[in-house]
Amino acid sequence: MASSASRFDDGTFVGFARRHAFVTVFGVAVPLLVFACFIGYPIVYTIYLSFFEWNGMAPQKKFVGLANYAYLLHDKYFYIALVNNAKWLVVSLVFPVSLGFLIAYVMKARLVFAPSLLRTIVFFPVTMSLIAVGLMFLLILNPVFGAFDTLLRSVGLGFLVHEWFGDYRIALYTLAVISGWAFTGMPMIFYFAGLGDVPKETFDAARIEGAGHWRMIRSVALPQLRPVTAIIVMLTLFESLRAFDLIAVLTKGAPFGMTNVLGYLVYMESFWNSRFGYGAALSVVILVIAGSLAAVLLGKVLKGAFDV
Amino acid sequence: MSDGTLNASAMRRGSFASVLPKLAATLLMLVLAAVWLGPLLLIVMTSIKSNAEFLAGPFALPRSPTIQPYIDVWFGLGFGTLLRNSLIYATAGSALAVTLALVPAFALSRLNVPGRKWIFGLLLTGLMLPQQTVLIPLYDTLRTFHLLDTKIGLIIVHGVYGMPLQVLILRGFMTTIPPEIEKAAYVEGATDFQVFWKVILPLSVPGILVGYTLNFIAIWKEFVFGLVFLNSEENFPVTVGMLKLNSDRYLAVFNLPAAGLVISQLPIVILFILTYRQISGGNLSGAVKG
Repeated sequence: MASSASRFDDGTFVGFARRHAFVTVFGVAVPLLVFACFIGYPIVYTIYLSFFEWNGMAPQKKFVGLANYAYLLHDKYFYIALVNNAKWLVVSLVFPVSLGFLIAYVMKARLVFAPSLLRTIVFFPVTMSLIAVGLMFLLILNPVFGAFDTLLRSVGLGFLVHEWFGDYRIALYTLAVISGWAFTGMPMIFYFAGLGDVPKETFDAARIEGAGHWRMIRSVALPQLRPVTAIIVMLTLFESLRAFDLIAVLTKGAPFGMTNVLGYLVYMESFWNSRFGYGAALSVVILVIAGSLAAVLLGKVLKGAFDV
Repeated sequence: MSDGTLNASAMRRGSFASVLPKLAATLLMLVLAAVWLGPLLLIVMTSIKSNAEFLAGPFALPRSPTIQPYIDVWFGLGFGTLLRNSLIYATAGSALAVTLALVPAFALSRLNVPGRKWIFGLLLTGLMLPQQTVLIPLYDTLRTFHLLDTKIGLIIVHGVYGMPLQVLILRGFMTTIPPEIEKAAYVEGATDFQVFWKVILPLSVPGILVGYTLNFIAIWKEFVFGLVFLNSEENFPVTVGMLKLNSDRYLAVFNLPAAGLVISQLPIVILFILTYRQISGGNLSGAVKG
């Protein structure tokens, strides 16, 4: 979007800065400075710190080269956390994203009465803190007074009852599903808005050819919504790398570190075990994963989605 | 709102084949409503029961509602201080984020800034950055400036990390303002600042309100920064203070933690009711598509 003022610009930054001093200072310099101090510098410092051993208090940091990374390659808990991140991501992509799409489609196709009511109900947990969500499900999934186990027993599914947070085989999935419950509203509103943007004629044409809902979803809605899906997948990716709050309030990584994810392991190693250098090395791993995923997505799938 | 464009069954109305999807969808909706509304209703129900009533029937409808659990948990956790703190963080942090984002959004949406693609891309990385990876340096920086365990320190961090999303939202909103309006102002000899202040800013108020509200909710929900950068209980936001509810003392009977949950969410419920149309209306995706 070029404004009329830009016809005087000669295209170089200096030329622009001369003519637009106010915008250059407050629109470019200030945000870039803030970015450099609070986002750029911390990233660089984290990388720097990953080559040191430091307990967070000592005035001297001890240079150890790649020792932190060497340790990481043999750290059992690092691998558990890495695999858990992958599991968390798969659950997040399957449950909240596809369900969010389904709800959006069903509402848009007017297959249900009171669609806006359902939308409000599903969207509401998006505004809840994950601490509140976690505590709520701590009550719901309690083995004695919890509603969920009682419900299972009363419909004859008592054999499904588990120690939802204590059983090391399922605790992580419990957390991921709770996180999905709170997140579903997000893909839902994105898909809902996306479906509203699909031209009416596209659906009309499919309908005249006698397409049912299944064909409509597969051959019309999903292909048309590919950019929306790309954005949602990216959001979900970063959300799963950030996973922290539910673990902090519910399991703290227990049992046996089986519910640790990278985002929580960093915090534990740095602020509980006072191994800031190792924590920084773990942070670098997260940054590399996040960075490469972002590069792939922004470069390929999202081409044009963020065009200025 | 929906205009029924997807109504595939319209051509075959009345036949069994057209009833089936509707039936399945309605069934699905009932199940979903139960899954999403059930836990919330149960918590509200539990929060107004006395100990005896809860132990007698944890899932029964409350027969003699009481606000005693609210009073007990309010003083037990010091919700007065917690709510006040969260309110300060959310109000001031969002204000800082929006203020920082206004001129960049103006520059990136209305002017031909050389390298704007790079500037925008750089700011967006702030959106994708997992906060845990920068906790140590931020902790260090805050300590250097004696801002660790202070309200002002946390407000600054929230404001800075809220800025990228605000640039995205406001830029998306400002691109929808027709260029003719400011063209007239430029022809009259107005400066960039005058155009920004007198033309773009007043027209952007709806976008600013949406951005501010979303940021407010985000800070209210935030937990990691508060947990790491604060030590004293008098500075804790609701999310950090509430951790105490996960303890034997509060989990003996569920009415107290349930009441605590309701209190912690109440301000957002009010905000949600007031602004629901704006915040759920796909404004975010609109911003992304620009």
